[in-house]
Amino acid sequence: MSVDPDLFESMRLELRRGSLVLAVLACLRTERYGYTLRQALAADGLEMEESTLYPLLRRLESQGLLDSEWRAEEKRRKRFYVLSAAGTEMLAALADEWRGINASLDKIL
Amino acid sequence: MDLIDRYLNAVAAQLGQDERADIIAELRDLILSRFEAREEELGRALTDDEKEAILHEIGHPLVVAARYRKGPDSLVGPELFPYWLFGVKAGLLVLLAVHAIGLFIHLVSGPGDAGRSIAQAFHSFFGAGLTLIGAATLAAAIFEHYGVRPKWLTRWRVKDLSAFGLSDPAVWGASVTGSETAKQTWAPRGPKRWPGGDYLFSLLATGLFLLWWIGLIHLPALGQVGLRGEDATVTGAPIWTTLFLPIMVYGLIRMSIDLDGLFRPHRARMRAVGEAALAAAGLWLIWVIFEAGHWFTLTRDGESAQVAGDWSLLDFTRLQGLGDGGRDLTGIASTLSVVATWVLAIMAISLVYRMFANLWRLAQPGRRGGA
Repeated sequence: MSVDPDLFESMRLELRRGSLVLAVLACLRTERYGYTLRQALAADGLEMEESTLYPLLRRLESQGLLDSEWRAEEKRRKRFYVLSAAGTEMLAALADEWRGINASLDKIL
Repeated sequence: MDLIDRYLNAVAAQLGQDERADIIAELRDLILSRFEAREEELGRALTDDEKEAILHEIGHPLVVAARYRKGPDSLVGPELFPYWLFGVKAGLLVLLAVHAIGLFIHLVSGPGDAGRSIAQAFHSFFGAGLTLIGAATLAAAIFEHYGVRPKWLTRWRVKDLSAFGLSDPAVWGASVTGSETAKQTWAPRGPKRWPGGDYLFSLLATGLFLLWWIGLIHLPALGQVGLRGEDATVTGAPIWTTLFLPIMVYGLIRMSIDLDGLFRPHRARMRAVGEAALAAAGLWLIWVIFEAGHWFTLTRDGESAQVAGDWSLLDFTRLQGLGDGGRDLTGIASTLSVVATWVLAIMAISLVYRMFANLWRLAQPGRRGGA
């Protein structure tokens, strides 16, 4: 029996949704602005829509996990994001959790 | 105004004033970055169609703006949805029962136009049902918006769950047949039974009644009685106009006590005071209605008959002779008079019981908790 592509796509999206925050936090150990962050994520195989990424950045900033500042670069003002101290701690905790889940799943799979 | 401005204006209109400029500046940079990257790939300036294709990829302005919105992004969230669904299902069942009874009375009270009666009942049921769903959704949206999570929603106990079976019509049927399962489901759980389900249903029923009372829900089946193929019109007696406001206030107080029971189940003593006072007020209303003596008037072809009653109708022999009434206007009015008199009497007895039960609750020292 072949895999239902629609069902697979819905489950795939559900599976990766929770990991996107972790990926964004990890990527922002280096300061980036939205567009370059999206490119960096895509280069590592994690495509993310702008309409998801930009609101997520603002939410993480409002939660104190990111710092941001407007700065001019390449003739335009851009908003740069970087992990805050609280964000660094959160990333470490989430990464531990992720590794734990991964190890458990590896055993099961 | 170019494409970017037009797109960003549409997004900006959906955003709050305090964060609008910041978000739009960031989106503008995103769009320009996307345009530049594409131009670099192609080695030329983009056409308007190509720019529009990129804006399409970024998303519809309403969707983009919605992602930035703080607070809930749905009227009924996943946490509240099961409660919303229960309320709607239970409310629709109550409405269905009310309409079925109304339709039944209409059909058996005379050989009227059955098709028309059924159509009217359906029309009325769907109208009332949609109003109910709208009201439930509005309530859920307010809960979502303000993050309200009443205690009956979070601190539930297994022994308090029997009332939730009410949304399953099969349970109603089982309870009518008196099956053991139904008895176990419906048997009283003693004085400490949590009344959340009762309050919820009382709230729903009173809310529906009040919507009808103030004219927001129309039940055409209640305004007409079929008599030998013709409709007789039912009009209320002057007493209902006199008591319009008191009955509305009574309903509103009933709902506020139900809400108190749902949101603050621990205030049982305070609520018992309210229940006893409301029962006394209800008794007064029943007395005034009874004393008025005339409740409805049936009219057909210029002929009219009053649905009216007094103490003489509170006689069991009158009840036994209910089916013997004539099928003409006077006979139907006479039958309805007996029914209405006894309904008032039963309501009065239940209110007396309620009043004394709550006074007894108050008289018991140290009694606490939802009773």
